[in-house]
Amino acid sequence: MLRTLQRALCTVAAGTLLGLGVNAVSPRRIPWLRPPRITVPAANQIALEKARRLWEGGDAVFLDARATNAFVAGHIAGALSLPVESFDAAFPSVRSRLATEQALVLYCDGERCDDSIRLLLKLRPLGYTNTHVLVNGWTLWQRAKLPTTKGDAP
Amino acid sequence: MKCFVPVLLRLLLGAVFVAAGALKALDPAAFANDVARYGLLPDAAVNVVALALPWVEVLAGALLIIGWWRQTAALVIAAMNVLFLAAVSLALARGLEVCGCFGAAVARKASAWTLVEDAALLAAAIWVCQTKGDNDETNRGGN
Repeated sequence: MLRTLQRALCTVAAGTLLGLGVNAVSPRRIPWLRPPRITVPAANQIALEKARRLWEGGDAVFLDARATNAFVAGHIAGALSLPVESFDAAFPSVRSRLATEQALVLYCDGERCDDSIRLLLKLRPLGYTNTHVLVNGWTLWQRAKLPTTKGDAP
Repeated sequence: MKCFVPVLLRLLLGAVFVAAGALKALDPAAFANDVARYGLLPDAAVNVVALALPWVEVLAGALLIIGWWRQTAALVIAAMNVLFLAAVSLALARGLEVCGCFGAAVARKASAWTLVEDAALLAAAIWVCQTKGDNDETNRGGN
């Protein structure tokens, strides 16, 4: 039993070293320390109710800041995919559909998700100032049983 | 005649963990986000755990498949399943829409069914861990 426990610790240690080692040479490497999370200032937040009214009136474009596969698995109906992780590659195709004065509602998923505020910080210098973050947007939208769709990134 | 069920179960359990680990390891940034969204770890620990966990899964799964250190591998897998059960239970209790179970490529949300799967995997791991086999570590002197 003791030996099995020792070997279990060895397995965990070996897996950890393997993971850190592979990461060191991987093109998809991530830092060991996670960059500090950016919190959304209250002034940039939009309440679900207000976002819903903008959506119903067609008065805002919704931008999904999550990864493409999350978008494909399900997103707010009519939203455009603009993953913050691949902003430079994804933005040109979205740009033509946005006027700078256009109201934008950015969302990702989870109370702790900072993808949408990071997207806002990328959009603001480009002139998009009418931008709002729906914190925990995807979860809240689904919970409120508001319209969603699945499918390819537009 | 030897029963093939224990061998089959061991191979299946190993394959599930190799697959689950490999899918997570393919996209470490996405898996790190999933780990962070559980909200159970301090931010400083998130990335290291997200880098290590998939490879521990792959390693333990591979050991089970090749049948080397069988009990050890089953123990590690059982321990991971206990952690997964706890994490998913807490996430469900707090209404979080997160799973990360098979990496970000398999977009799915944790549900009661996830708990059933985890419990089944845990039971299988415990069973493999305690069954005596021809490559049982405790019956052999050394490796």
